[in-house]
Amino acid sequence: MTWRIRSLALAAAVAVTVTGCSGGAVRKTASTSSAFVYSFNLNVVTDWDPATSYSNEIIAMQNVYESLTRYNTESKKVEPRLATKWASSDGGKKWTFTLREGVKFHTGTALTSSVAKAAIERTMKMKGGAAYIWEPVKTIETPDPQTLVFELKYAAPLDLVSSSGYASYIYDTKAPGGGDLKDYVAKGHDTGSGPYTVASWNKGQEAEVRLGQFKDYWGGWKGSHYTSVEFRNTPQVTTAWQQLQAGDVSYVHRLNPQLFAQAKGMKSLKTASVPSFQNLMAFFNTEAGPLKDVKLRKAVQAAIDYNGLVSTLKGSGTAASGVVPTGLTGATPGLAGRQDTAAATRLLNEAGYGPGKKSLTLDLTYAQGDDDQQKFVTLLSSALKGLNVKLQAKPMQWDAQWDRAKSKDAAKRQDVFVMYWYPDYPDAYSWFLNLFRSADPVNFNLTYLDDSAVDGEIDKLPELTATNRSAAEASYASLQRKLLVDQAVAAPLFVQQYQRAYSADVDGYTDDPAYPNVVFAHELSPAA
Amino acid sequence: MTRYLLRRLAQAAFVVAGVVVLTFVVMRLVPGDPAVTYAGPRASAAELARTRAELGLDDTLPVQLWDYLTSLVRGDWGISLHTRQDVLGDISTAFPASLELVGTGVIIAVLVGIPLGVLAARFRGKPADGSIRITSMAGVSVPVFLLALFAQNVFATKLGWLPVAGEYDPRLDGTSPLHLYTNITAVDALITGNWPILGSTLAHLVLPAAAIAAYPTGVVAQMTRAALIEESTQNHARLERALGFTRWQVLTRFSLRPALSPVLALLALVFAFSLVNAFLVEAIFNWPGLGRYAADSIRSSDAPAIAGVTIAIAFTYVIVNLLVDLAQAAIDPRVRIR
Repeated sequence: MTWRIRSLALAAAVAVTVTGCSGGAVRKTASTSSAFVYSFNLNVVTDWDPATSYSNEIIAMQNVYESLTRYNTESKKVEPRLATKWASSDGGKKWTFTLREGVKFHTGTALTSSVAKAAIERTMKMKGGAAYIWEPVKTIETPDPQTLVFELKYAAPLDLVSSSGYASYIYDTKAPGGGDLKDYVAKGHDTGSGPYTVASWNKGQEAEVRLGQFKDYWGGWKGSHYTSVEFRNTPQVTTAWQQLQAGDVSYVHRLNPQLFAQAKGMKSLKTASVPSFQNLMAFFNTEAGPLKDVKLRKAVQAAIDYNGLVSTLKGSGTAASGVVPTGLTGATPGLAGRQDTAAATRLLNEAGYGPGKKSLTLDLTYAQGDDDQQKFVTLLSSALKGLNVKLQAKPMQWDAQWDRAKSKDAAKRQDVFVMYWYPDYPDAYSWFLNLFRSADPVNFNLTYLDDSAVDGEIDKLPELTATNRSAAEASYASLQRKLLVDQAVAAPLFVQQYQRAYSADVDGYTDDPAYPNVVFAHELSPAA
Repeated sequence: MTRYLLRRLAQAAFVVAGVVVLTFVVMRLVPGDPAVTYAGPRASAAELARTRAELGLDDTLPVQLWDYLTSLVRGDWGISLHTRQDVLGDISTAFPASLELVGTGVIIAVLVGIPLGVLAARFRGKPADGSIRITSMAGVSVPVFLLALFAQNVFATKLGWLPVAGEYDPRLDGTSPLHLYTNITAVDALITGNWPILGSTLAHLVLPAAAIAAYPTGVVAQMTRAALIEESTQNHARLERALGFTRWQVLTRFSLRPALSPVLALLALVFAFSLVNAFLVEAIFNWPGLGRYAADSIRSSDAPAIAGVTIAIAFTYVIVNLLVDLAQAAIDPRVRIR
């Protein structure tokens, strides 16, 4: 009997140890009946700091924090947010923003130019996430409480920079009580000025984040609005789909094509299908290996079944025309890829390979677990096989894929690298600066292109965008022709299409790909 | 018995240490740079260098291993590259939810499986025995994810009898906030008398726990039946029958206790298997347990978190085995001298 008692005591002690006593903490308040419930497939919050946040929390933070301006992809215009007007002078090297009056932060502090300047300078100083967007800024002046003047080192489109989804937030840098801001926000507090404030954060729970109403919001609460927003973490898309049908959630940001087709046929739901700013591209190694030969690069480009790929995506991707997705300055029609097996055969033969000649082997790396990339690889492998080219495709984790691509020994790098790209702020420059400009050591230029003429043209893009957008358009088009047609250093494969499903009770929803997966909940109204 | 306990504890410590070292070495041998995961795919070279130094990745492998082992002993399981939180903290939040789910499944298995096994043994060769054997075979054979998807689709979405997913209705946090003591929601709700959350948790537990319970129930029923039939062929059973005890009395009074010893041993294995099964069920029912944490960690190549989950599971498995061995030793003294 003694033994049984001891065993039981030991079991109880172990159970208490492994479960961990938490000392009677209270799980924080989650949803209320008037909540807009957003179902997301990943953890929402990695970093609550508005200076360094660079991940999924954008979906919550864009409702909590605001930037000076906001980009409207539909009108292709920058619109007022915390700034009501702005102007550039000195050839795009000086920008003056007039701040909105009557704006209060959730801390109670009023918005002034000094507060805005402190926020931007803190973000720049912390150098985390997308803080580099402010790199052109030399000084910030505050001639009066409503005016911010930026002096730039070189001309740049600061209206677009200040519309960025990341690192452009204007926030109160002083935490209530005088503590360190980073520690304050890390506990799930905020110092934003948006319509909602962080009400609860339950890390690792299904109802991970809840935003509550900020009653003093400058935009007001007249009319019908959701007074709270809840972010539910539901990794399985099928589970999120069932919760949407059961009315447990209001919005599912990502459905697969089959479920999206079902959603379109349901009266209790609404759907939205919007092209994103995220495209998948194949980058060819121009520095070493067989694809150093431009004829072989053009042959691979011609072998890709672009239409077949888009067709297999069943609506979750659209054809890409060049590097820049539609909706951004620089998007160029007429650059869509087209499969041309005859041309591919001819080019391979001219290079001494292809049907009837030497066989060629190419190494390709792509992201493990990405179905859409897998579809591309399958189609390309099959097309190349018919051309006497063997494709050795390796699915890899991102860090391993990138490690290999940056190997110091050029011979160890892959021939073809497949990855997605999207801009941090709504501007095409991000693709060109990161993906095609020479860099030492190699960063994201996985074509390994080192062309000073191309570099020179890329370097002129920000100034052109800031001073003469039509000239910038022309320059973007010319660069894309040079890179994709003349030098064939890459092949844009498709642009991802957002497929959203949400309750028919939600009115006023629009999707802006400049703010990936963000729902601006204050602009919605619950149907009466 | 003390010597037996010490021997088993030493063996358990050896197994856990082996798992820790092996996990660490495997995680370091996997291609890729953990600093990239931590700093983000668009980090600059300087940020990556800073992160590598911060995470100690510039040290030699033996130094890293030593640091890791000493940190583990201090209760520092590292920082998750994905959540950027303390791994032990993450696990201590997620693990109780898994324990709640698997524990309920195993309790169902014991409460349902053992009586089913007894019934099957009592009515051996009769239709009742056949039905129980077919049902338990189905429970063992049908993949748990299929069962879970079927249950969710039919009983939650189509019939609307039970909740679709989650641990409890989050709206209750507003009206009946839950005080956490053990981090096991049902237990905390029970000990604090939070009946709305207890009711909601139990409703949310039914489908995933039933899915988890299918396999262990089938195994326990079959094992109990086989062990009881084996016991009923022993001399003591014949003597008891000759003394006038009914077949039912012989089974339940005299044969069940020795027959439960192998069933208990099996429960340790079944528990470990159910913990892994729970990963799939948690994903389907969005249960905030270790499975979801592990899936996120694997997706984001989060080496410290993956190592943490592996160690936690190994640790649990060793503890459960130890407890079962002790329970067996208590039931059957012959075990102590093996």
